Amino acid sequence: MYNEIVARHFMDPMNVGELASPDETVRIGNAVCGDTIIMHLALEDGRITDVKYRAYGCAVSIATASIASEYFTGKELKELSGRSNAELAALLGELEPNQKHCIDIMLELRERACASVQGVNG
Amino acid sequence: MQQTEHNHSTIETFRAMGIDPVAAVLASTRTLLRQPQQEQEAVRFLLLQDSFRYHYETNRVYREIAQERGVHPDQIRNFEDLLRIPSIPIKSFKDVNSHKLLSLPLQELEHELRSTGTSGIPSISRRDSITVDRSVVGIYAMLRDMFGLFGGAGLFLSPSAEDMPEMGLVKLISMFSGLLDTTSYFIHHSTFNPQDAIEQLTKWENQHTRHIIGPPFVIDRLVKYMAENGITVQLDRNTKVITLGGWKRHTGREIDAAEFRAACAAAFGIGEGQVRDMFGLVETNFMAIECEHHRKHVPPAVHFSVRSLEELDREVAVGEPGLLHVMDPACRSYPGFIQTEDIVYLSDGACECGRHGQVVHYMYRARGAEIGCCAINLEKHMEDKENSWSSCSINGR
Repeated sequence: MYNEIVARHFMDPMNVGELASPDETVRIGNAVCGDTIIMHLALEDGRITDVKYRAYGCAVSIATASIASEYFTGKELKELSGRSNAELAALLGELEPNQKHCIDIMLELRERACASVQGVNG
Repeated sequence: MQQTEHNHSTIETFRAMGIDPVAAVLASTRTLLRQPQQEQEAVRFLLLQDSFRYHYETNRVYREIAQERGVHPDQIRNFEDLLRIPSIPIKSFKDVNSHKLLSLPLQELEHELRSTGTSGIPSISRRDSITVDRSVVGIYAMLRDMFGLFGGAGLFLSPSAEDMPEMGLVKLISMFSGLLDTTSYFIHHSTFNPQDAIEQLTKWENQHTRHIIGPPFVIDRLVKYMAENGITVQLDRNTKVITLGGWKRHTGREIDAAEFRAACAAAFGIGEGQVRDMFGLVETNFMAIECEHHRKHVPPAVHFSVRSLEELDREVAVGEPGLLHVMDPACRSYPGFIQTEDIVYLSDGACECGRHGQVVHYMYRARGAEIGCCAINLEKHMEDKENSWSSCSINGR
C-alpha cells in the first residue's frame, strides 16, 4: 500500500522543524480532512537555501512534505517553477488511487513557493 | 488472578492452532458480556498482558517509556498490575512525530483513520491488516449484540464515506451498511435537507424496519424541523435511533441527552429505550454501546481504567469521576494503552439487560483539551457553509 519512497520519508522525515526568520511561509491545508503543511523557506538571490516544515495528516502527505523539502532545497525558484508537473509527481513514486491527492499537495507546495515567479509550467 | 504458566500457554495454544486469541475473544463478545465481571477480567488480563509484552518488544519508543517508568512485561502478573502499563497521551496521534508511535513499519500498514476537531489538526491512527480484522470483528460483534441488526433500512444522517473517506465517524456509520438491507446518506456537500430524510422514511414504510443513525446534532436538527412543522413519523417496533459523535456542539453548548431521547421518542412514536448512544475513539478499535436501559457497556476485551486527576497512577473508585485511560488489546500497529482527554465515571456489576462488566458514563472533556471530534468538525463545516449562503447577496443570481 505504501511505496518505498513514501515509507522512507514517513518513517525518517527530512527537514522537520521551523526557521527562526523565514523569508516565505507556505501554508496549505484541507479544512475537512485536516491535512496541513506549514513550510518555511529561506531565500537568497532567488534560490531556496533552506526549508523546514511541520506536516500533519496522512502518511503520504507527511512524506510529500519531506520529499518536497529535500527537492526544493538548493533550487532556484525559476528552475523549480520550470519543472513539469509529471516530474514532481514522479518524486512521490507509484501511489494508490486514494493517495494521489498528495500529487496536488506537492504541486501546490511548489506553486506557493514559487508564487513570486510567473508562469509555472504544467 | 496470579499469572501462571497455564495462563500464558492458553494464548500460545490458540496461536499454535492458527487462532488469533484477540479476535477469538472479540468474536465471543455476546457470551462474555453475560459472564460475571471477574471472569471477563480474567480473559481481558491475558490479552492485555500479552499486548503489553508485544509492544514492549517491538516498539523502541514505547519500550523506552516503559523502562523510564521501571516497568517490564514480567512484572505484569495480575489484574492490578495493569495499572503500571504506561499510557500514551491521545494528543500524540496529532503530533508531527506520530510515526514514532508505530510498532510496525509503514509498509505493513493498510489503513489510516482520522478525526479532526476544532484545531483542524487531524488525529490519525494507522492500522495493519490484523488490527483492522480485529476492529471489524469487535465492532460488528458489539453492533450485533446491542442492536440485533441484520436487516432493515438505515437513514444515515452523515456524509458518505465517498465524500469523507478516512473520517472515523463516517467509517463507523458506513459499517452499519453490512448489517442492513438498504441505506441512504443525507448529508451531501456539507448540507442536510431534513425534508428529504422524512420523504425517505415515508418511502420505506411497510417495506423495512427503519433505523436512523448519525451524530446527535444532525438528528436533533431533524427532530426540531419535524416539531416546527408539525410532522410526526410513526417508525417501527424494532426501530433504533443510534447516535455517535458526542453531544457537545461546536458552539460549546451541549445537547441534553435525556431531552433528546424524549424528543426522538415523541417525533418517531418509539420508546426511549430505542434511542441509543455509542462511544468510541478513532484511536481505538471498540464501541461502547448503550443498552435499552441507557447504560453504555464496554466490550469485554477492552479495559477502562479511570484515573485520579491529581495522581494519574491511581485508579478512582467505581462511581467516581476521573480521566479515562483505555487499554485496547486489538491494537497491533501501535500500543493500545491510551490516556484520553475524557472525564468519565464507571459503574459495573449486573445490568437489567443481562449483561455484566464495565459501564461507562461520559461526563465531559478534560480541562484544556481541544473540543474536538468528527461530529464537531462536520457541524462547524455545515454551519460555515450555511452562513456563507445566508450572507450572500441574491442580486445578480
